[in-house]
Amino acid sequence: MDFQLTDDQQALVDAVQAILADNADLPQSERLTYCCHDPALQALLEDNGFLGAARSIGPIEAALVVHETAKSLFSIEAMVCGLVAPMTLPDVELAGPVALVTERDLSKAIRNLTVARTLLVDCGDDVVMLPVDQAEVVSVPTIYGYPFGRLIALPDLAGGQRFVGKGAALRQWWRVGIAAEIAGAARAAIDFTIDYVKQRQVFGRPVGSFQSVQHRLVQRHGTVRAGYYLAMRAAWSGSVLDADIAGAHAVQGIQALLFDLHQFNGGMGVTLEYSLHFWTYRIRALQAEAGGITGMALDIADKRWPEPSVPALASEGC
Amino acid sequence: MEFGWTDDQIEYRRKVKQALDELLPPDWDERYVPESYASDLQVEYSREFCAALAERGLLLPHWPARFGGSDCPDWYHFILGEEMKAAGEPRGSQYMNVNWIGPTLLKYGTSEQQARHVGGISAGNVIWCQGFSEPNAGTDLAALRTRAELAGDHYVVNGSKIWTSYARKADWCFLLVRTGPARKDVSILLVPMDSPGISVTSFPGLIKDGHLNEVFFTDVRVPVANRLGEEGQAWSIVTHALAYERVGVPRYHTGLDALDLAVERLKADGRWEADPIMRYRAGLLVAKFEAARMMTYLVVDQRVKREPPSTDANLSRVVSLEAVTEMSNFLADYLPDCLTGGDALLEDYYRINIPAGITGGTNEIQMDLVAQRGLGLPKA
Ligand SMILES: Cc1cc2nc3c(=O)[nH]c(=O)nc-3n(C[C@H](O)[C@H](O)[C@H](O)COP(=O)(O)OP(=O)(O)OC[C@H]3O[C@@H](n4cnc5c(N)ncnc54)[C@H](O)[C@@H]3O)c2cc1C
Repeated sequence: MDFQLTDDQQALVDAVQAILADNADLPQSERLTYCCHDPALQALLEDNGFLGAARSIGPIEAALVVHETAKSLFSIEAMVCGLVAPMTLPDVELAGPVALVTERDLSKAIRNLTVARTLLVDCGDDVVMLPVDQAEVVSVPTIYGYPFGRLIALPDLAGGQRFVGKGAALRQWWRVGIAAEIAGAARAAIDFTIDYVKQRQVFGRPVGSFQSVQHRLVQRHGTVRAGYYLAMRAAWSGSVLDADIAGAHAVQGIQALLFDLHQFNGGMGVTLEYSLHFWTYRIRALQAEAGGITGMALDIADKRWPEPSVPALASEGC
Repeated sequence: MEFGWTDDQIEYRRKVKQALDELLPPDWDERYVPESYASDLQVEYSREFCAALAERGLLLPHWPARFGGSDCPDWYHFILGEEMKAAGEPRGSQYMNVNWIGPTLLKYGTSEQQARHVGGISAGNVIWCQGFSEPNAGTDLAALRTRAELAGDHYVVNGSKIWTSYARKADWCFLLVRTGPARKDVSILLVPMDSPGISVTSFPGLIKDGHLNEVFFTDVRVPVANRLGEEGQAWSIVTHALAYERVGVPRYHTGLDALDLAVERLKADGRWEADPIMRYRAGLLVAKFEAARMMTYLVVDQRVKREPPSTDANLSRVVSLEAVTEMSNFLADYLPDCLTGGDALLEDYYRINIPAGITGGTNEIQMDLVAQRGLGLPKA
């Protein structure tokens, strides 16, 4: 077991961070938005091979890229094109960015659809891949930190490319992606909040000197730190159960995380001038994906305790 | 980054499990475990069990070979800890010897002290207790009042300690005493528990018997040669000692075992499949325990790499406690009869964990340390 990044992994992380640091500033025109997706930044990451890490190096490296890009203020689509799609469909070249949706939600607003070139549909047992024609997509306004769009007409799934039996793998890597993305965004949001509570003075002392603030930040920090390793373990092991666990843990922590971070940033955290929402409302948008907390938790239970019940005593009617 | 066990580690775990299978008495689960690991029965039994583990070379995997260990990385010590805890901790109190008392003696003890104590610890047949807390000095340990006055080549100790687990059966006490007026004037004495002037009383509590003891010291004479380190050096030694203890208990391992047992019972009762909320909560608990596992392994990994102690050790306890607390609640919701004779193993699990946020440094103090030393938040 080794919890440290290898030199190569560290170099990968450093390189992603360097690109993101060079592209950290939101354009003036995007300052007061709910979400900022920069196609040039997305292309830069793709052209430099970072979104191809799953194929060129491996899943843990792809998960690291998801984790790092999630720290950016910009919404970058690394989760599906960089991790979920190549791990689910290793022999298929997809045009990214990629949007991902469960079949029953096809008529609803879909995360990343307005920037996507490909749509993957989780059809239960199978996965269907469709090209996205932006002329067929309308943008949907939302406070979530991703671009959302709706398909003008329900697509004909029979016209897409169907990958039989790939649904389970898709959901597995989707959960790993959710866990890595939440861990990255949450890390950035916590660090941002720590900086704020250190300098914001109330009653003549920093907000961050109050024990109630400190303790809750520590608890959130613990959840997120553990979540990062659970996500990486799931990427490393390729185990379905590990993916369920990483996803469930990440989603389980959202309620307290969002409450506390918005609380500690006070009124500023509610404004768009401030950056907090870029991370927190990306995290919120992920909360119900891939089965949500109920689906993930029930899957864990089913996998850990698969045998059917054998009642000790046959029940007798009274 | 990788999360697997090596073949050697897998083999070591197999040997530990085999030792448990072969060494534990047939009525271990029925008679010993329900008494709990701090009970007189188990503490006494630990002398036999640990000696047998030592004979198999399994007691001290991470210790230096010249002191009876096998020079293995700390992972092996942790594998041992996981399996022992899961079995109901047949090492009784001796897990402390191996975790921190022995290593502290190896680091700070004189050669005479090492010669006297390390052999017993590595042979697995000596019981220690930890005499730190007092009625008015728990979290604020520096407020301790038990005094040691120098009288020639002896100290004369007066005062009392409380919550001293295993004190009734202990051979030795790792005792903190005040040797001067300032808060920092605290020293460590290694005190034979059969010294004249020591008495132990026990009181009942929510946790099983063996932990809740008060130890009284009345004019107890302790040779100066039994002082560990210099006068006034206790805090730096204790900080080192507790750095070993902080991640001492692999609570995820016992927690998951208890959860498996609980689910087995719920299935046998015919309640499992009909109740998706129960299954949902059990699933989330697995995730919580796995989070605790990751944090604990992270700290072990840091230790293996000899990184300087970080607040991740404190953080791992905070994360573990969340899982443990939720597990107790799960039992209370679905198997309340575990506290009314329904299941001795689950009762033991539940009761051991009642003070999980208190022992070995309270949760609030762990969080203070992480906040201020780890996250750099300002002191009040
Ligand atoms: C089962 C059991 C076994 C034990 N075994 C041993 C043993 O073998 N040897 C030994 O020496 N001791 C032992 N202890 C004692 C244990 O270490 C103490 O109980 C612990 O340090 C807390 O001290 P206290 O009980 O005096 O609580 P207090 O110090 O009175 O604390 C009460 C509460 O106040 C909180 N608090 C205190 N200071 C602060 C602060 N600054 N900010 C916020 N909150 C604060 C604490 O976190 C706690 O929640 C044991 C205790 C138990 C319950």
